[in-house]
Amino acid sequence: MARIAGVNIPTAKRVPIALTYITGIGNSTAREICDAVGIDHSRRVNELSDTEVLSIREHIDQNLTVEGDLRREVQMNVKRLMDLGCYRGLRHRRNLPVRGQRTHTNARTRKGPAKAIAGKKK
Amino acid sequence: MARSVWKGPFVDAYVLKKAEATRESGRNEVIKIWSRRSTILPQFVGLTFGVYNGQKHIPVNVSEDMIGQKFGEYSPTRTYYGHAADKKAKRK
Repeated sequence: MARIAGVNIPTAKRVPIALTYITGIGNSTAREICDAVGIDHSRRVNELSDTEVLSIREHIDQNLTVEGDLRREVQMNVKRLMDLGCYRGLRHRRNLPVRGQRTHTNARTRKGPAKAIAGKKK
Repeated sequence: MARSVWKGPFVDAYVLKKAEATRESGRNEVIKIWSRRSTILPQFVGLTFGVYNGQKHIPVNVSEDMIGQKFGEYSPTRTYYGHAADKKAKRK
C-alpha cells in the first residue's frame, strides 16, 4: 500500500504504470519520474522501499501539479475564458467544441449522448 | 500554425492611429473598428472598441486578460436561438 500525492493507492502494478493513476501524470511523465528518482521501470510498487516511495513523493511535490491542484488550475483557466466573453468562453458555456470542430455531426464528447428529435423522420 | 515572433503582432495601422488619437484626447468613447483580425495590444487596455460583427459594432472593454487575442473573438458573428419547435411533430 503506497500513498502518493494524496489519495492515490496503486499497488501490484509496475511503477510507471501505477503512477499514471494519478491525475496529471501520464505515461511519459511517469517514466521521467522513475528515471529522475532512479527506479527501474520493471519494478513493482509493492517492491519499493519506504525511502523510494518518499523520494517519488518529494519529486512530484516539487516539480508537478497533480490531482486537486491541477483540476483547480484547469477550472480557473476555463472560468477566465468564460468571464472574458470571448469566443472560446462562449463555446465552453454552451458545452460545445472549443477548437473549431464541426458540430453538424459528431462532437458527441462535448454534447453528450444524442437526443432524439421528435418528428425528424418524414 | 502560430505566427513568427520576428514579425511582431499584427495590427491594422488605422486601429493604432485611432487608439492613439482617443488616448490623447482623453475622452473615453467607443472606437469603431472593422478590423476583427487585429491583435489586442497592451496599449489598448482600458479603451473601448466597437468591433464590427458584420451588422453592428459590439462594444468591447479591453482588459488585461485580452492581450494577445484578436478583436474578432469578442464580437460573435452568428446568432443562434435554438431550433424552432417543429409544427409537423405535434400532429403525430
